Formats: sequence, C-alpha cells, structure tokens
Amino acid sequence: MDRHLKKLENDSIYIFRQAYRSIDNIAMLWSLGKDSNVMVWLAFKAFFGKIPFPLVHVDTKKKFNEMYEFRDRYEKEWNLNLIKGDCPPVEKIDPSLPPAARSAARKTEGLKKILKQYKFKGVVAGIRRDEQGTRAKERIFSPRDETGKWDIKNQPPEFWDQSNFNYPDGVHIRIHPLLGWTEIDIWKYIKSQKIPVVDLYFSKNGKRYRSLGDKDITSPVNSDAKNIDEIIEELQTTKVSERSGRAMDHEQEDVFEKLRSKGYM
Amino acid sequence: MKKFKDIEEIPKIVIVGHVDHGKSSLIGRLMYELDQVPDGKYEELKKVSEKRGMDFEFAFLLDALQAERDQGITIDTTQIFFKTKKRNYVFIDAPGHKEFIKNMITGAASADIAILIVDVDEGIKAQTKKHAYILKLLGIKKVITLFNKMDKINYDEKKYLQVKKQLEEYLTKINIEALNNIPISAKIGDNISTRSKKTLWYNGKPLVNVLDNYNCNDNQMDNILRFPVQDIYKFSDKRIIVGRIESGKINLGDELLVMPSNEKVKIKSFEEWPKPKKEYNTGECLGLTLSDEIFVDKGNIISHPNKPPKLMNTFEANLFWLNDKKMDLSKKYQLKINTGEYTVNIRKVNKIIDTESLESTNKKIPNKNDVSEVVIHSSQLIPMDDYNVLTKTARFCLLDENEIVAGGIASLQNYPDQKELNSSSNIKPINFDVTEVDRASRFNHRSGVIWMTGLSGSGKSTIAKEVERKLFSKDFNVFILDGDNLRMGLNRGLSFSPEDRTENIRRTAEVAKLFTDAGFIVIVSLISPYRSERKKARDIRPEYFREIYVKSSLEECIKRDVKGLYAKAIRSEIKDFTGISAPYEEPLSPDLTVDTEQEEIEESVLKLESFIIEEFSIKK
Repeated sequence: MDRHLKKLENDSIYIFRQAYRSIDNIAMLWSLGKDSNVMVWLAFKAFFGKIPFPLVHVDTKKKFNEMYEFRDRYEKEWNLNLIKGDCPPVEKIDPSLPPAARSAARKTEGLKKILKQYKFKGVVAGIRRDEQGTRAKERIFSPRDETGKWDIKNQPPEFWDQSNFNYPDGVHIRIHPLLGWTEIDIWKYIKSQKIPVVDLYFSKNGKRYRSLGDKDITSPVNSDAKNIDEIIEELQTTKVSERSGRAMDHEQEDVFEKLRSKGYM
Repeated sequence: MKKFKDIEEIPKIVIVGHVDHGKSSLIGRLMYELDQVPDGKYEELKKVSEKRGMDFEFAFLLDALQAERDQGITIDTTQIFFKTKKRNYVFIDAPGHKEFIKNMITGAASADIAILIVDVDEGIKAQTKKHAYILKLLGIKKVITLFNKMDKINYDEKKYLQVKKQLEEYLTKINIEALNNIPISAKIGDNISTRSKKTLWYNGKPLVNVLDNYNCNDNQMDNILRFPVQDIYKFSDKRIIVGRIESGKINLGDELLVMPSNEKVKIKSFEEWPKPKKEYNTGECLGLTLSDEIFVDKGNIISHPNKPPKLMNTFEANLFWLNDKKMDLSKKYQLKINTGEYTVNIRKVNKIIDTESLESTNKKIPNKNDVSEVVIHSSQLIPMDDYNVLTKTARFCLLDENEIVAGGIASLQNYPDQKELNSSSNIKPINFDVTEVDRASRFNHRSGVIWMTGLSGSGKSTIAKEVERKLFSKDFNVFILDGDNLRMGLNRGLSFSPEDRTENIRRTAEVAKLFTDAGFIVIVSLISPYRSERKKARDIRPEYFREIYVKSSLEECIKRDVKGLYAKAIRSEIKDFTGISAPYEEPLSPDLTVDTEQEEIEESVLKLESFIIEEFSIKK
C-alpha cells in the first residue's frame, strides 16, 4: 500500500474510533457499493475484526439482483449485525422534485425511519468530496436536526481533528470517514486489501457501472475495464464524472443540494 | 501502469485572501488549464452563469451551493482534487468574507501548502492580513503569494512591485516567508500553467511549476514520541489501548511513560486486524496492551520516559475566537487537546491583536474573529507541549455548551511544568503519593461507580442493598449512595424540578467521584431520569462509570407502589413525579440491564454482582 493510501486508512480508522467514543448510539450505512465495502473493511480495522455497532441497509427494493446476492452472502461471511430497512412508496415523496430525484428521496425517508426507530445518534455514511460539489463542502462530523435537515450555510467549525459532539436531543450526526478519499483511492484500496465488490462494476459488452443506485435510475457508462487494474487505469485518464450514470444528479442545477439539505446522504 | 506509482504524497493546498480577490476563480482556471473539468461540466456551468447574467464563471466549479452562486461569494470551504503532469493535489478553497472565518479555518487547518492571493488592483485589504495572521497561528511558516487581476492594471510592473513590497513588509513582521510572488490573471490565464508573454519582466516560474517543485516536508522534531490515548477497548479478555501516533515511533520492546500519572510501563503486545507489525510510526493508528495493570485513561499521553510532555495547569495561548458570543472570563469552557478533554477557564486576556496594524488594541474582551493572547487555567493537569517544540500536541480548541468557540496554540515558557514542581518542591498533590494503582492493588479491585437508574419502585435500592452485602462479604470496599438518603442531608432543600434534579445528580456524582478517589466501588441508586444528566455523571470519570438500567414498566411500578407515592402522584398530591408528571428517559445503551419484571430479585442481584466482579476485580 502506498503512503497516501496508508494515510487515508489511518485517518478513517481515527474517525471511526472517535465516533464510537463520542456518540452514544451509532450505526453504519451499508449500501453494498464499493465505497460502502471499503467502509466495512475500515471498521474491521478500527475495531479489531468485530464491528461493535449495527449496519443498516436502507432497501429501496429496486437494487440490482447482484447487489442483493452480495448482501446476503457477506452478511453471513462477515458476521454482520445488519438491520434491513424499507422505504415509503414514491407517491409519499415531495412531488415538487424531478422524477429521478423524487425516487432517490425515498431513501432519505427510509433512513429517517430507521434513525427514529432505533434512536441512533450517529450514522456513518460513505460519501466522498470528489463525488459532487455539495458533498465537497461537508464536515467529517456533520449534524442534522430532527427533520434530517442539513444547515449548509451554518456548518460547525472542524479543525485539528476536533469536532463538537454535544448536540441537543433529536439531532443526529452524520459521520463521514471516506470524505477525503477519491474514486481512484477506493479502487486502489480494494485492490491492495482484496475487498470483494459487486460484479456490476466490471465491463460487460463494453459497459460498466461506475456508481450503483436504484436500477431504474442508474445507467452504465461506456467502458472496457474488466478488472480492478483496468478500472484504475481508466480512471487516470477519464473525463466522465463518476455519477454521470445517476439520473437524479442531472435533472436540475440545484437538485442534489435540495436532496442533501433535506437529509439525503 | 507505472506512471503514477512513484507519487506517494498528495499535498493539500489552501488558497486564502480577501473576499473577491479570486480564490475560487483561480482554482476553476487551474482545473480548466490542466484539463480536469469533467465532460459536460463546462457547458453546465456556462448555462448556470448565463442564468445569472454573468460571463462564464469558473468559480462555480467550487461554489456549488445556490446561495454562493447567487451572491457570488464562497460561503463554506470546499476541497477539489486534481493532478498536474507531476503529481496529484487537493485544493482547498477557503471563504474570504470575514463572516466565514470559521469555515476558512476549517479548510486551512489541514493544508500543507498555502497560497495567499491579492487583487493587485485593489491592493492589500483587511482580510488579506487577517488570513495571513491566521495562517501563522495554524502553523504555516511559508506562503506562495499571487498578485491576481494583472489584466486590470495592464500588466504594470511598477504597480505589482508596489503591492508586493507592502505585502512583504507585513509578512516579515509576522514571521511568514513569501516564497514566490507570481503576477497572474486567473481570468485570462496568465502565469498559471505557462509563462505569460504579457509579463516578460517577471523572471519566475508560473504557478503550476512552483507547486510541482514545492517540498512539503516539514522539519519538526519527529523523533519525539507522542501517543495520545484515544480509547480503551475491552474485547475478549484483552484491554486494548488505541490511539494514533502524533509524532515519533513505537517499538515492541519500548518502555513507555504515561502522563499525567507519570508511571512507567512496558508494552505486552501490539494489536491490529488482521495482524500487527513490530513497529509503528507517526500518523499510524495502533492498539497496544500493557504488561502491568496501571491506570490509563482517555486523553493520557504516552511517551518515552526520557522525553515526556509537560504537565500544565496554567499556560499562555494564542487564540482565535470564532463565536458570536464574546469570550466570558467567568465561564467554564471545555478544552479539547488531542484526545483529552478538560474543564478550563480563561484567567486573563493579555492582549487583543489588531491584525492590520499588529498593535495591541484597547479592547478588553475578544469578540468574534479576534485574535488574542490569553492565560488559561485548568483544575486538572494537562499533558501537552509548547507550540515551538511540537505542534500537534500543543494546539487545542475551546467549546462552549455545544459548539467550538475558539482555536488556539499553547506557549508554555512562562508557567511551571507541574511535573518538575512535584518532584523538586514540597508541593505534592495527594494523588501522586498514593496512586490509584496502589489502592487498587491493596483492595484487589479498581474503584468504580455503579449508577443504577430506573423508575421509582423498579427495585434499585433493594438490589443495591443485596449486592452491597454480598460484595462486602467478599472483601470489596463498597458503599451505597442512595437518592432518598442523600436528599435528607447533602441534597436537602432541592426540589424535583428539572433544575434541582440536575443539581441533585451533579452533587451525587461528585460525591461518588470522591469515593472512587478513595478506592471504593460506590453504588448510586438514583432515579436520574435525564439522559443528559447521566451522561454528565459518566463524563466525570468515564473509565469508572457503569450505567445499570433497572427496568420495570410503569404499570408494574404503579402496581407495586411500595412507598405509596404513585397513588399520591396520580391524585396530583406530588408534583413532578417521574413517570406520572415528569419524564423518564430510559438509557439507550446501558452497560447492564436488570429487568425486575422478568427476573426474580435474586437473579438480578446475582447478575449485577457478577458484572461488578467481572468489570472491577483485579485478576491475580
């Protein structure tokens, strides 16, 4: 592992341990994607092979079959304490959102339900700064109010690995251990640690998925990368953005900000 | 694919400067010239700019928030990744507006390279200086200075030299070295990735070359070991101390010193999943177990015995104040340094610095965005270093109730190191004479607080009495602090209002702490209905504290009604009665739950007794 990856790994472990120490009741989102699996791996490292809090899969019931197979296999193999949550139907979601975003927002509501049910005070999410402009503005420990709202214009200061954990009841903290990682870091780490990932990331018939979401609003990109090495090579020269296959990102200028300010990951 | 393999470090670059002097535009320009703008993004931003009736605005690459685009300013810090032919970088864009200093610091605190940008037409402004000064407090000693908007002054060398001279004078005064002074235009693209033909009088390199040749290695004294204890895990039968090495390295055979207890100890094993190494270096997270059962707590600093940190209760610091509420000398603040948390107050403000003139101002109390020199006092001893010796164990932040209000760096010359005081003078705090370890080894158990919470009538006192009797017969030093009994003496006069309940719990927790100092296991039997208050009790000595939830439904407690209180409460003859007219917040993650509705009383007693023995006795 090169020094850069080693540093990212250590920083993430530090964040995990800080979260576990400072926040009463936490859980980790497991979306079954590549970043999520890296996160599980880092949690194993932080807690010596046994994750001391539950994982949550907020299931939209619209994931790819390969993803469900992956989940069922590794839930057992990794001995995970997994909570499976569901999402409300799209009809219950804010109709002012454009169609794909409205569909994606189901996940926000599904997450809120779980948070309420289990009274989680913190939830670990695998977002990264390089994915999207508003995610680039995130804090590592980012508070959300009772309604899941993100107060973008008034985020708490965070420096020298110091953050505030003392929030009023009802507030939960989003914990972002992968914030400083890039897509290529993720793949290099997967390679060096031999972390399993869903096959959909590898090219079949000239196409592969770079980012996995609901199957009806996620499309593959053109690519011949059939294995991790080829993916890493592809990423070094590509100018296609990682989330280009995620329909929800491209419907309106501010749609992602809207989604996130209401509690989307 | 070997191309990128040799490049291991990815420097973080922060760009600071006055609002509208071109920070975000510069990054946008760089991305564009280095061909890093994703497909379709250029067209998207063009649309976004047109919508707002502007020329094409590179800044929108980073100013992703609607409010930022509408107002044309950066509100929050952002990070963006890009690469040159030579290496990869992370660019940190920091807001220039004085309203957003806290966001600027959030961004700048993690930077390896700093760029200070000045609008050469407008000249040096208040935030140019303020930002430079804050960089200095953040430990940055060198900057790359950029003179932007050269196109606006027709690439006039004289004007450039004039602004450059002013800036250099200021930077010299605050001990920051300006490495390069590059005349640029972020808008047109002069001297960004190639030398501009319009500034032939400029002999230096364009920005990208300067960055590629920049050496980021700082020459701190990296050989001094500092390992702050982040947490202590009890997994299987091991007690694993975890943390990250802030400087130096640890080998398996090393003898270590734990501060503030000042005890020497050897490493028994390194712990890592899937398997440990034999040596760990700066920046690495690790777990270790110790050869002796000595008391180690979160926030302790582990070092080598010959180079320990200092042990301070009073020290000077440079502070930047970030909060709307101004500093309050009568207030207690929480100080966080590395993994340690302490209660402190600010004893004195030596001066408030005007960052423009660098004179001290007439103001007495620092307000938002003020930089000051203060004296801080803590009732506990804090292991720490002087900022000029080791940066990472010398910088801290202050928190009010629930927000970070200030950041600071410590300067330890003018106040005594308490460690030396203890060994060389007559002042000997008792906790260094008879240590916790001494007591624990005589009593064969560590001290602890067994905090039993639950509704009135849930069975707290009954269980407590039984457990006390049983443990006493096994030679434990054990004592019960009972809520009702305390209210007859120490806590007489306190009502059951939320405020008085809080005070009731605070006093009880402090008394419990004294008992733990004396080596006791103290069983606290107290309804203690509020989660936040129980957390405060835990925070006094988290290592010692175990929360026991004595669980029984309200219906069952009403049915039992041993003291006849529920009947009265239901008839409204008692005010603020937990469960009836006042809330009870059940524990979210108690260390142990005994369910007196499901279990026989003997069963609950046995469960708690075994728990205490398991958690606190010292196995021989």
